[in-house]
Amino acid sequence: MASTLRLYLTCIRNTLEAAMCLQNFPCQEVERHNKPEIEMKTSPELLLNSVLICRNEAEKCLIETSINSLRISLKVKQADELENILTKKFLRFLSMRAEAFQVLRRKPVQGYDISFLITNYHCEEMQKHKLIDFIVQFMEDIDKEISELKMSVNTRGRLVATEFLKQFI
Amino acid sequence: MILLQSHSRFLLQTLTNRVQNLEKGAELDCHWVEFDDVRYHLQASMKNLHILLLSVSLPAPPPETIFFGGLPFGAIEAIKAAYGGLVQILDPPRDGFNLTLKLNLSKLPPNEEKKQAFLVKVASVREVVLGAPLRVILKHLASRTVAPDMDQLVALVHRQNESFFLVPQVDKVTVVYPMRFNDSIDIVLATSFLQEFVEARRAAGLNNAPPCLWSPSPPLELKGAPADALSANAGFVTIVIFPRHVEGKKLDRTVWNLSTFHAYVSYHVKCSEGFMHTRMRRRVESLIQALDRARPDLENSKTTVNSRSFKRLSLKDSRSNSTS
Amino acid sequence: MDPASRPAVVIDNGTGYTKMGFAGNVEPCFMVPTVVALNESFLNQSRSTSKANLLAQHSAGVMADLDFFIGEEAFSKSRSSSIYNLSYPIRHGQVDNWDAMERFWQQSIFNYLRCDPEDHYFLLTESPLTAPESREYTGEIMFETFNVPGLYIAVNSVLALAAGYTASKCEMTGVVVDVGDGAAHVVPVADGYVIGSSIKSIPIAGKDVTLFIQQLMRERGENVPPEDSFEVARKVKEMYCYTCSDIVKEFNKHDKEPSKYIKQWRGIKPKTGAPYSCDIGYERFLGPEVFFNPEIYSSEFTTPLPAVIDKCIQSAPIDTRRALYKNIVLSGGSTMFKDFHRRLQRDVKKIVDARVLASESRLGGEIKAHPVEVNVVSHPIQRFAVWFGGSVLASTPEFYSACHTKAEYEEYGASICRTNPVFKGMY
Repeated sequence: MASTLRLYLTCIRNTLEAAMCLQNFPCQEVERHNKPEIEMKTSPELLLNSVLICRNEAEKCLIETSINSLRISLKVKQADELENILTKKFLRFLSMRAEAFQVLRRKPVQGYDISFLITNYHCEEMQKHKLIDFIVQFMEDIDKEISELKMSVNTRGRLVATEFLKQFI
Repeated sequence: MILLQSHSRFLLQTLTNRVQNLEKGAELDCHWVEFDDVRYHLQASMKNLHILLLSVSLPAPPPETIFFGGLPFGAIEAIKAAYGGLVQILDPPRDGFNLTLKLNLSKLPPNEEKKQAFLVKVASVREVVLGAPLRVILKHLASRTVAPDMDQLVALVHRQNESFFLVPQVDKVTVVYPMRFNDSIDIVLATSFLQEFVEARRAAGLNNAPPCLWSPSPPLELKGAPADALSANAGFVTIVIFPRHVEGKKLDRTVWNLSTFHAYVSYHVKCSEGFMHTRMRRRVESLIQALDRARPDLENSKTTVNSRSFKRLSLKDSRSNSTS
Repeated sequence: MDPASRPAVVIDNGTGYTKMGFAGNVEPCFMVPTVVALNESFLNQSRSTSKANLLAQHSAGVMADLDFFIGEEAFSKSRSSSIYNLSYPIRHGQVDNWDAMERFWQQSIFNYLRCDPEDHYFLLTESPLTAPESREYTGEIMFETFNVPGLYIAVNSVLALAAGYTASKCEMTGVVVDVGDGAAHVVPVADGYVIGSSIKSIPIAGKDVTLFIQQLMRERGENVPPEDSFEVARKVKEMYCYTCSDIVKEFNKHDKEPSKYIKQWRGIKPKTGAPYSCDIGYERFLGPEVFFNPEIYSSEFTTPLPAVIDKCIQSAPIDTRRALYKNIVLSGGSTMFKDFHRRLQRDVKKIVDARVLASESRLGGEIKAHPVEVNVVSHPIQRFAVWFGGSVLASTPEFYSACHTKAEYEEYGASICRTNPVFKGMY
């Protein structure tokens, strides 16, 4: 399984390097406004083809680009009920702190678990390849954290049961 | 705190304070609620400050359990056995409560240790009253008998409108808990915790602990039980108690642990959710540090003294905002 | 099983002390210092990456987060063993350390109050200067970890006003002078809403008074064992201090009749067990005097409390000022000195009268202004006035409909907790 993870991440990284060419573009509809075009989706000439990278049925990544903004949506694998609720809890926790992350979107795109929105301003403030490093590391960290949370729940359950049963001896 | 204590902290604190300042007491009229919907009311009037009236209300029993005169069977005997003549049961109890006890603080044993032990016992009135039927059955188990005219399947009050079941036999007592939780996340976490009970028993050193089983559907022991008692969204836990678990001093502890099983599991589910929050906060911190590395230079952000919601985000400010 | 049929849980988290209990009671069940003693050793373990004994470390770490104490137990445990570190989650009225705060709430609910959070509505308090994000995080913890059915986060000054109903008639306009252990604020409230821009704070609070008394006693050479001196100063402050009307006269009174004014403090040395006694003299009235003449304590801050109150009211909208002067409510443990309210009322009235007189003389005596009524309200439950106000409010039937429910949280997210409207039951 680890080999497909490496391939998956490398593919995403390459796509992002190609997609992250953002430039400032004032809004065409409203004067003096500057909106992330990927969110508005009003002018088809400003949007590029979106790319869907699937690791398997459960995990996929949708990268949509436009002239001044880029949206990355992730669907994380959830093997069983416990992973399902842990993922939901963790991603809800992260989304609530979206302001701190700046590139995170407060609500994920329909059908996905978490979304990023990167605009040209972010690319001006931060280095492009480091930003891509961050996104890839974020994906790895989510997986790591979910599996660690799951292990901690199981260990916790074991300890709770042990303490309870010890009372009877 | 890993295990739930059997005495009510507030009740013990109030009793101890009043006993220490017997002459300087003030009027008292307060009520409070404990887990599993046990309500208390404590009253002391200015006319006689030594007399305390303690009223207890128990969770509403589901139809399959037996309450005689508003109390579980064996409760009155248990109260008399625990408190002797120092406590008087008032009949009828206060309106809205199942039991009212009258306690005279000036008649307590003069020995400090005995007095404190008695106050602790008074503060554990919930364990005495609610645990009375369980105690009766387990005491019989300790002497390897079964109580006369006891049903094959006994239902006892566990929480509001919920019961747990006992199958008393000569050499063992099988206890079955249908576990229900309100919140969907709690259900999943509790299910994984309860399944661990089976695994944990196999660990070395716990050979003498009661064997546990978990099953998603009602076990065979519950064959005669009414239908709505058999719905459980977190499965059924079966614990088998042998006489060695209820010998001597272990009886009290076993009664308490079995009576508050759901509260124990629920408490630990919530603690582990809190622990998960701690882990998630650390993870958020490390991710924001990673994002910080993406900036080529750390600008000196203008620090505003106003409240944070007006600060324009620079990562340094937002980081301090987000350590939550 | 209806949570609305059970009394709500009221928890007032202050910088120094937390008051918690059930609505409908006159007093809180518990009043514990807001401090957590954490076993920090597990933190390093969870971050270490050594593969050996990973499971053992992990299990010790996973359960060791339950190894902590709050309140008085925290102080005694940290004194007796070195693995516990004290942590104060609330600084200057704001929650600083959310991990510690979550643990604090966990212990308060399960160990002290021993209630099931799923069965009760919760009323929490906050300082008027808190950021909305902080309310969101509180809501997140309450709804996600404890699964409370409903939550209302009230501003502590508004609750203190509600507590004053026992003494005066229902007024939702007034100035709350909240002098607690860690922070002191003067907060004007108009019609139940805090006028945020006029809030003034004073860096002198209960702890500073205690430090001042400790300093005075040490300078005089009283033989108090050094490790106990803070505790002794605190008890002296609570038992013997009073507010005088004039320092000079008070000094003379003390000098003329020492036997009447000088009290004795008797204690036991902790190390040897030998009893000792010391005199309490001038600090009896110099302690509370710090609020009226701060220059005797610190040279950095010299504005006396009555002047701060006056400045605060003058910065409020002009149509509220008379109502604010009429209803100055005291709250917090450090306002409980004997005659504190009388001295405060006298001093504020002096400033106000001087100003009215100056304006009349400027206008040549042609237009006479209505005299401004200054009234400082004091009542016996000042110590936990905020908690009491919360208890009163949470017993009204409108409280339950004003709370944010778990269903709303699931639907809209934590941002609903940002606003907590003033509801009809408050009037």
